[in-house]
Amino acid sequence: MHLFKQEPKFKFISKRWYAFALSGLIVLGGLYVFVSRGFNWGIDFSGGTLIEVAFQQPTSINHLRSSLAAINLGDAQITRIGNENKFFIKTMSSLKKLNIRVEEKLQDIEEYEVVAREIRNGIMDEASRAQAAAGKIDLNNSAEGEIARFLRDKGIGDDDAQETARLAIALRKSGSGIIGDFAELEKAGAKHRVVSLLRAETFLGKFTFLSVEFVGPQVGKDLRRKAALACIWALIGMLIYIAFRFKFLFGLSGILTLAHDVLIALSFILFFRIEMSLQVIAALLTITGYSINDTIVVFDRLRDNLKFMKKDNLEAILDKSLNQTLSRSIFTSVTVLLTVLSLYLFGGEVIRPFAFTMLVGVIAGTYSTIYQSCAWLKVWENSVLKRKKSGGRA
Amino acid sequence: MDKSLTWKVGLIIAVIALSIFLLYPPKDKINLGLDLKGGMHLVMEVVTDEALAIQTDMSATQLKGLFKDGSIPHEKIVRKGFSKIEITGTKLDDERRIKDILDDDFRDWTYTMGGSLIALTLRPNIEQQLRDQSVDQALETIRNRVDEFGVAEPTIQKEGLAGDKILIELPGIDNPERVKGLIKSTAMLEFRLVVSGPFLTEEAALQEYNGQLPEDLEIVKTNPRRLDKGFYVLKAATVVPGKDLKGARRAQDEYGAPAVGFSFNSQGAGQFEKFTAANIGKSLSIVLDDRIESVATIQDVISSDGIIKGRFSVDEVDDIVLVLRSGALPAPLRYIEERTIGPSLGADSVRKGLAAALGGLLLVVLFMLVVYRAAGINSVLALLMNMIILMGIMAYFRATLSLPGIAGIILSIGMAVDANVLIFERIREEIATGKSPKSAIDAGFKKAFWTIFDANLTTVISAVFLFQFGTGPIKGFAVTLIIGIAASMFTAIFVSRVIFEITYGRRRKLARISI
Repeated sequence: MHLFKQEPKFKFISKRWYAFALSGLIVLGGLYVFVSRGFNWGIDFSGGTLIEVAFQQPTSINHLRSSLAAINLGDAQITRIGNENKFFIKTMSSLKKLNIRVEEKLQDIEEYEVVAREIRNGIMDEASRAQAAAGKIDLNNSAEGEIARFLRDKGIGDDDAQETARLAIALRKSGSGIIGDFAELEKAGAKHRVVSLLRAETFLGKFTFLSVEFVGPQVGKDLRRKAALACIWALIGMLIYIAFRFKFLFGLSGILTLAHDVLIALSFILFFRIEMSLQVIAALLTITGYSINDTIVVFDRLRDNLKFMKKDNLEAILDKSLNQTLSRSIFTSVTVLLTVLSLYLFGGEVIRPFAFTMLVGVIAGTYSTIYQSCAWLKVWENSVLKRKKSGGRA
Repeated sequence: MDKSLTWKVGLIIAVIALSIFLLYPPKDKINLGLDLKGGMHLVMEVVTDEALAIQTDMSATQLKGLFKDGSIPHEKIVRKGFSKIEITGTKLDDERRIKDILDDDFRDWTYTMGGSLIALTLRPNIEQQLRDQSVDQALETIRNRVDEFGVAEPTIQKEGLAGDKILIELPGIDNPERVKGLIKSTAMLEFRLVVSGPFLTEEAALQEYNGQLPEDLEIVKTNPRRLDKGFYVLKAATVVPGKDLKGARRAQDEYGAPAVGFSFNSQGAGQFEKFTAANIGKSLSIVLDDRIESVATIQDVISSDGIIKGRFSVDEVDDIVLVLRSGALPAPLRYIEERTIGPSLGADSVRKGLAAALGGLLLVVLFMLVVYRAAGINSVLALLMNMIILMGIMAYFRATLSLPGIAGIILSIGMAVDANVLIFERIREEIATGKSPKSAIDAGFKKAFWTIFDANLTTVISAVFLFQFGTGPIKGFAVTLIIGIAASMFTAIFVSRVIFEITYGRRRKLARISI
């Protein structure tokens, strides 16, 4: 299958002001959101507590929010994961806000641990809270070793205790993370005697913490600096490479195109309130490396054409080069786009911000290669032509 | 088949065989990261300032001894900040003698003399050395503790720009709270004389001394798990320093309750014997990490062995024994990052990652077959081989597969066929200019090579910086991306060329090819 029957004859360069205007609008919009609301920093950068929680029963965000508000955590950020009964709860709140007094001075992370404990208590239903208060442990929120130790303390033999704990964890692992009924344990092969004891001495909480993350504020500071350094070095790396590979004006256009792609990706991150995390930085850096590719293909062709099409005007040469490489630019992007799309659709919530950023970056990269990279050369037409005449090479 | 083609095919088969050999069995060879198998990720900061302060205190004590031996009159010798000592009230006549002492025994220090004040400062390179040492020591101690606790395949390493952070990864950990307490315990065991107490509040203790505590005394809190909540006034000086502790073991008190048994080396035993003999009838406290664990009356002379009684559970005894055995930390630690991934989330991420990888692969394969027909098959073969080599190399380097790592693999599926697209499009162009299929293939590969090289190089450049900057999972992403791209240079350019040669090579006259 060919994308075009013959070499297409699109007039890309003449549309350059529209293209500049479109990109400019998007970046201005991004700038507006940046100034008015700023980035939605993930806890990697801002520090704080992030909990991923799964409920057994359908639970509404409002219900969750009100139970958190009851413990003075009304400003916690709650996000539903897909259409599932899973949520992210993010908060930067410290104990002072929760009106909790502790005896000793706690370090940042220890404070967050207390916050997480409060959240756990806050979203618990009354029945479970009563059970927990009575000293029973929650099979859905205890680690394997804790369950085994609990059973041993209750007089269950070592092997049985360990085997039952292992079964409980395996059961949680294979499903949503929550055991619904003690009968499930027995079906999975736990001894009747042990399960009876579990029924009496433990309870099955209605939710489980899938992951709990605490990041101290000093980590974010370190990381921001490192992230900025990595981005700057990557850009310098590209600059050196392009300077080595192309003459000045080509290099400049290339870098501008690259910066454009990153800015567009950043703008969309701002528009959609995508959380700025390590993986998003990774995606941005990957875009810096990847989006320059298309541009290089076009510039390669352009360099040849500048030699052979001496009589044509610059706009015609630029258009010709773009059209010649058009199906290539589109196809190579499509292959990467397909994989990133699959990642976005099937890869789960955790990796979605990465996939989103890549998706935007790859599309912006293709668009900018076609509408911007050569358009910049047209803007500097006089200089390009002067060099062409004097040097023969661009 | 001509000769050169034979060895090319041989090489390809050898590479595939080697990769499969390295990879087999995949369950053992591919390490799953914490985010995929669940576990605990901790980053702690070694408070090296404290380690310096301890060193400086020791130097100050040594200096006091030297001044005393030389009977040099002075007012005070005190530590200032973490790495400074101030001597006040010295006489001008003693300047020569003091200089001699400092020049001989305090070479690690620079000093200034101004009137009756002498200020010593630790040399910056020595200071850095001490800081590094304390981090290394902490690393070693933590490693001992984690090993003794029996965590399978832990990762313990230095991290951070200043190198003062320690990263600990504990896969599939089954009792997070306990391990955390264990790692962090400074394990500084001290035996100190009780002066008065217990008091209910710190203020009450202070009142005994009219609000002004003498310099050689200190108010210390009890560990509420072992003793009733309260405060004691203790002598600031420790009877036997922790380094003279020889061993610790699980023991029982006279009622059979769990207790911690300890023994001193000969130097410690001698000191302890002398001390207990002189203080029979008085109270002795045992202080672990600035918390009083036990208070007992000295009834007899004790030399090398003793036990710490308290309300211990068996687990608590085991933990204290473990930290005492593994040695004290040179400086306190602060947790600055902690991530706990539950087992079900890890399993879920693996499922989703696999789904995304298969989905991506399927979409790309379909795309290549639809767009390039028979040549598409060529690129699909090359792509599959790329995946095998990628996994083989990862297995060889024992690289860890994280969720971002899977994303890297998926991304490199897309980028690997990019090279094929560039080549195939070039071949189409060459055919369009009227070249014969064979020379079009030749020209296509030749002309596309540098483009592919450029394209891959820029991506590798940014992946390298990402590797430098990233932590854990992000490093995994950079690694898979780099390996995937490197493998694609081999598969898309070399392998796919050989496949063309095999398919079309024997035909004398080739009118058209399916591309």
